[in-house]
Amino acid sequence: MAVMAEPNDDELLVERFSRGDESAFERIVERYSAEVAALANRLLGWPGDVEDVTQDIFLAAFLGLKKFRRDCKLKTWLFTITINKCRSFRHRRLLRLRRLPQSPRNRDSPMNAEDFDHVRRAVAALPAKYREPVVLMYLQELPTEEIARVLGVSKNALHVRLSRARDRLKNDLAELWE
Amino acid sequence: MTEDKLERLLQETDRTAGPPAEVHVSVAGLRRRARRRMFVRLASPVAAAAVLLLAVGLWNHVIRTPDGNDGPEKIASLEAQVKQLTARTDAALSLIHEVLEEERRQQRLDELEAQLASIPDPLEEMQKQVDKTAFILVYQADRLYMEMNQTDSAIENYNRVIKLFPENRWAKVARQRLEEIEDKKSDKSDSSDKSDSKGDLRWKSQNASSSC
Repeated sequence: MAVMAEPNDDELLVERFSRGDESAFERIVERYSAEVAALANRLLGWPGDVEDVTQDIFLAAFLGLKKFRRDCKLKTWLFTITINKCRSFRHRRLLRLRRLPQSPRNRDSPMNAEDFDHVRRAVAALPAKYREPVVLMYLQELPTEEIARVLGVSKNALHVRLSRARDRLKNDLAELWE
Repeated sequence: MTEDKLERLLQETDRTAGPPAEVHVSVAGLRRRARRRMFVRLASPVAAAAVLLLAVGLWNHVIRTPDGNDGPEKIASLEAQVKQLTARTDAALSLIHEVLEEERRQQRLDELEAQLASIPDPLEEMQKQVDKTAFILVYQADRLYMEMNQTDSAIENYNRVIKLFPENRWAKVARQRLEEIEDKKSDKSDSSDKSDSKGDLRWKSQNASSSC
């Protein structure tokens, strides 16, 4: 779904949008909506339906793109917005019971659906400062420099957080490996 | 559990969860939401300002209502101020009335003075009447003497003027006339014996002057 972008395509789209060409934003949505929705889905604990939060993310991007300083990649900037929107979205529904979709059993995996559900709950239960680096590192597979930029922390702080997140997950998921 | 194992576990879990539902984001929809958000942002302060104005209006209304429960001291203070203002207004009005009355009196006085000024001086008027009467007597005597040739009656009138109005200028004229008549008579007596008539005239004249 996502269109492969040339290195300078994003800058061109941002420039066109700044000059009043709203069709450029349609291209941006077309290019990044799937990635943004996937990240939001992971950060929010795989609820499946991330329509509202994705709309909010792109609305914030639509309103703020003219102020985009272009000191990072457009994708990084969108991921930063996604992180912030997901934080506030989680905060709003903190005590609301989430219903995770039933996943089919993977025949090739020794784990069943309950085990995956357990893993998802463990990740979702992590504090934001640990969950976000884990999602960006292991699921979005972003380089550490970009993760540090998105989260607004230093590389050392990021490594510390990742280490602590791993420790927590190992503790929470230890029974799966016994 | 190694880091690689954990990574694989997480990725497998993510895959089993499946991708999120397809998201439809349209620029038109975003524009509508942006407008709505701006409206909400504007509406809140406007509504707050309206409520504030309403509250201020109600508060003013309550304060100005005499039956209001709150602010009795303020009401008393306002009443005292109203009384002071009323007293000042009354004083100013009485002063204005006084000034107007004074002006009216002055105007009446001016009118009276004007009327008084229009009244002629009675002494002067009497002098005029005296002068007029003397003139009429001299005029009649002149007619008797010059036109009707009644010298005796003329002399009688001239003597009367001298007797009644001795200080008047017409008394002087009357004396001149008597002298003229006497001169004429003396001229006639030169040619004939007319001394008696002249002496008689003088006598009459003297008699008239002495009777004054």
